[in-house]
Amino acid sequence: MVLLPDLLPQPEEVAEFSSATSSRSWYHYLLIAVSLLFTLVSVGFVLSILLKSLPTWAHTGTLLTSRVWQPPNGPYGGLAMIVGTLETSIIALAIAGVVGLGTSIAIVFLIPRRLRNIVATFIELLAAVPSIVYGLWGFLVLAPFMLNTVDPWLNSWPFAKEVLGTSGQEFGSSLLLAAIVLSVMILPTFVAISREVIAAVPQDLIEASLSLGATRWQMIKDVVLPTARIGLFGATFLSLARATGETVAVALVAGGVANMQFHLLYPGTSIASWIALEFGEAQGNEISALMALGILLMAISFSLSLVSRWLVNRQRKLLAKV
Amino acid sequence: MSELVESETSPLGQPRSGGPVAMRLENVAVSFNGRTAVRDATFDVTKNRVTSLIGPSGSGKTTLLRALNRLHDLTPGAKVSGRILLEGTDIYRGNITVTELRSRVGMVFQRPNPFPTMTIYENAVSGLRFNGIKKKAILDEAAESSLRAAALWDSVSSRLKVTAGQLSGGEQQRLCIARALALDPEVLLMDEPTSALDPIATLHIENLMTTLKSRVTIIIVTHNMQQAARISDDCAFLLMGEDRAGELIEFDATEKIFNNPADSRTLDYTLGRFG
Repeated sequence: MVLLPDLLPQPEEVAEFSSATSSRSWYHYLLIAVSLLFTLVSVGFVLSILLKSLPTWAHTGTLLTSRVWQPPNGPYGGLAMIVGTLETSIIALAIAGVVGLGTSIAIVFLIPRRLRNIVATFIELLAAVPSIVYGLWGFLVLAPFMLNTVDPWLNSWPFAKEVLGTSGQEFGSSLLLAAIVLSVMILPTFVAISREVIAAVPQDLIEASLSLGATRWQMIKDVVLPTARIGLFGATFLSLARATGETVAVALVAGGVANMQFHLLYPGTSIASWIALEFGEAQGNEISALMALGILLMAISFSLSLVSRWLVNRQRKLLAKV
Repeated sequence: MSELVESETSPLGQPRSGGPVAMRLENVAVSFNGRTAVRDATFDVTKNRVTSLIGPSGSGKTTLLRALNRLHDLTPGAKVSGRILLEGTDIYRGNITVTELRSRVGMVFQRPNPFPTMTIYENAVSGLRFNGIKKKAILDEAAESSLRAAALWDSVSSRLKVTAGQLSGGEQQRLCIARALALDPEVLLMDEPTSALDPIATLHIENLMTTLKSRVTIIIVTHNMQQAARISDDCAFLLMGEDRAGELIEFDATEKIFNNPADSRTLDYTLGRFG
């Protein structure tokens, strides 16, 4: 689950422990011990992965340059997985962004108040559906539909074969299918945050625009969306973070082939799903290479999450000023 | 204040004999989900004068003001009854669209609320752009003349391209006034426009209102009785009734309301005995 940064005012800082009681009781030390333990575990976690991945960084060094993954002797190149992750995540984000922004606007401004909470709650519940369920749905329902209907239709356009590749892959697995499943999965996250950001635009800005003769659409387009835009970027980055880390569903529908692939109708893989598919049989240097992929994935997720938090905080400050 | 009004006082419900009428309210009532918030508002707003709405909290001043440019349309369950005429046209049932109404009846809010992502220039011309005007020459001219009218041009003409958030609170409120004036409205509604400002900025806005009334009819809601006495020509006094609905107690020339009101409750309020 992704933590949703909220736009609501933060509660006052909890009063300092020591100011309330002068004599420190046992639970004071217990809490310190527990938090120290937590810190130690986290540091140990990162360190052990780093250590395990060391051989890859030190010796083979092909993770970021090679597109070939060839156990047991290498090379172990991660380009196919990196490119696959970027392709699937960005396409998923484009789909979820357009659909999600429309949904959020509709929830805040168009749907009758009584239905609003029901729809919003339903969409946010979708975020709690386990990935494996989305994966199964993608594999058993969406894949045959893509294989029989969508892919051939896409291929009927001029130049489509050159750009997308030819349709009719085994089981319908493809990077495009993975991107579509991902887009459904990140949609609730995007809607949850963007709805909150849009609803936080001050009512008097909305009234000001309407008082100047703006239509509802002008009010949304010229006032609400620009005012909310930083927070909307935050929603985008957080959704992207979720998409890049998604494992099981992509493993089921992308095809699991380590080919660096720009033709979206062909199978491919992503960093997370490749780790999941490979680690069972990995030995020696391959383990280290998978660990290195894990570090890469972690770095991507961390930075996306940090950027999104920073953006949502900036939005909060902007709204505090107006 | 002495010789401002020559017209004779007329009973409630009758047009005042003062001058041409900009807006006429006939038995206006506003209710939310069946609960009446304000009722029995009947008075004429005379052109090129400042009309103030005064009364304690909960007396329905702001509710009444917001009925005049149909802002209650946004609130589910809100209902406005009676008739509100703008130059003789019923603004709820007559031949006028809500966007046309709002460009003829502008509004300035309690809190200065320039659009935070727009520049000073873009704020000033935002109303014109909403109404489909794109020609740069027209926009430039409107920006300058409205900023001049709001006594803001001299201090911002060199920085029209900075965002409005960089202005002080008083300047922001004047920008909001300029933004409304750019559409050249007939009536300007002001909902406690100085309550968020310091005394100096308040004074600026008050002086501005006195200057502006030759150009636009002003209706202002204020908590501040001295302000109502200083700047308004006519005054409506509202009070919360027994069922917690606001109602119009008295409408008259401001001088009359403050010196010789017809209703003893008006006198009690203006003398500060309650509220």
